Amino acid sequence: MTSPERIPEPSNPLGMDGIEFIEYATSQPQAFGDLLQRMGFVPLARHRSREVMLYRQGPMNLIVNSHGATSGMPTVSAVALRVRDAAFAHKHSLDLGAWDMPTRASAMELNIPGIHGVGDSLIYFVDRYRDFSIYDVDFIPLPGADPRPPALSGLHYFGVVQAILGERTRDWVDFYTHLFGFSVLPRGQYFGVLPKGTLLESPCHKFYLQLIEPPPGADDIQWDEGLVRLGLGAANVPAAVRALQERGIVFVDHGSVQPSDKGALTQFYLGGVTFELVVSHL
Amino acid sequence: MNLDHFGMDTITLAGPLEAKLRAVKAAGFTQIMLNATDIVGHPDGESAAIAAVRASGLRVTGFQVLRDFEGLAGHLHAYKVDVAKAMLEMCRALGSSILLACSSTSAHATGETDSLKTDLQKLALLAVPLNIRIAYEALSWGRYVNEFPQSWDLVQEADRANLGVCLDSYHILANRTDLGLLPDIDPRKVFLVQLSDFMWQELRSPEDRIDTARHFRVFPGEGVHSLEVAELVRQIDGMGYRGDYSFEVFNDDYRQLPLPMVCERAKRSVKWVSDLVSRRSLPLRRTSTSRG
Repeated sequence: MTSPERIPEPSNPLGMDGIEFIEYATSQPQAFGDLLQRMGFVPLARHRSREVMLYRQGPMNLIVNSHGATSGMPTVSAVALRVRDAAFAHKHSLDLGAWDMPTRASAMELNIPGIHGVGDSLIYFVDRYRDFSIYDVDFIPLPGADPRPPALSGLHYFGVVQAILGERTRDWVDFYTHLFGFSVLPRGQYFGVLPKGTLLESPCHKFYLQLIEPPPGADDIQWDEGLVRLGLGAANVPAAVRALQERGIVFVDHGSVQPSDKGALTQFYLGGVTFELVVSHL
Repeated sequence: MNLDHFGMDTITLAGPLEAKLRAVKAAGFTQIMLNATDIVGHPDGESAAIAAVRASGLRVTGFQVLRDFEGLAGHLHAYKVDVAKAMLEMCRALGSSILLACSSTSAHATGETDSLKTDLQKLALLAVPLNIRIAYEALSWGRYVNEFPQSWDLVQEADRANLGVCLDSYHILANRTDLGLLPDIDPRKVFLVQLSDFMWQELRSPEDRIDTARHFRVFPGEGVHSLEVAELVRQIDGMGYRGDYSFEVFNDDYRQLPLPMVCERAKRSVKWVSDLVSRRSLPLRRTSTSRG
């Protein structure tokens, strides 16, 4: 007999419970590490055998994976989802038509199951996040590092922005709604200073995905599918902007994208990485 | 409607892939439908075949064909999922945005709608990250799905953005499916139209349909069902379909004729079809009746 805990809820089939970590890939881990520290992240631990670093800020875990990285520009290479039962989530996804991730592609030695996401990115499933730290298995803490560094201005994960090709919105909406139970927010309901595309809310109501097609008339620009930007939530965006400016972060301050109560966008760093702040009480 | 809306299919032509690509291009076509055997059967391997297609400058109309995918269970299903994944990967490598999937003929498959629907949903989901659309075609000898109203019903039931139907004139004519049912289909969900005719008036058995389909098809305008083919194209065009037309002409004779000669016949067929449609597009001649 199946235990009652295993019975998925219709609206949240995997028992999703937010983001466990975000992984970036870059061949410039030091330069990106400097940027992350200016963004309030603290280096916490180093991988036992690979060129992988763990950063943390408040509730946010962030992994920088340079093992075999070919591109200098940091790109979001994986999103780890907290789920009720990682093995169930993995099997459920494969049964519905997800592609299993390549063996040994994970930054972690620990067996974390995952599937292919958009572009070259992966989606991991993590179920040990309450009573056990998955990081203790793979990482050696840096001496003297505070394991619980507070978040700057209450920053937390708000969402991930995904670039998609033209007329692909409905394909990706199918992907996220049917695999995970995301729901599409009504058109016109946006957060932040970049109100574009289609917003999807996670079934746990803890984060969002924003799907962006190329703007009209953009035939001549290079537009690949992939995870392009991380959104960080802050209850008070102007206070967070000030705190980050004091640490040397530069925000875009012209046109419609200037810092406001709704949000702000950092400049591009290291060839294209940027962070978006979004007003959020999540 | 012009030559750019039509593609030839490699299955009509004899010879190596490069010769087919050259002949089709030389005849003025801008697109070609590819078969998996063109790719894996290339003497220098799959990557050489992919490079040849990409270097040809021809647009790939679609890639065929995934067979007997839906309705299987257990290890047969798992096996077909592996096959589908390999086909999808080849499809992407070729720059094709369409994978053709034919309705199942397998004696091992169930005809239960829920199972067929779930499998098509899975196939569509597998195709999403690769940016591929699945064109589901009712084979006239399909075990449970053998006419386009059934394939359209299943596509609607499955309700996935990248899942649509392929309409093939041969299978529609072979089963004498009522063309009056075509307007039920949303033209945006027609991902591909394949055209051909054949030489016999009637196909009496499934064996007859299979044999004719695989050996005796001809280009539209060459067969004995010209009126029906014309009506089909008029209807599809009238529905608002603006996608590709591909000549799905399996013909043993054409596979032993010089390639330029077969391509010329295909071009004549393009003219035959385009003339039909352009005649339809002309405004009706105003009558001289006046209201005073």
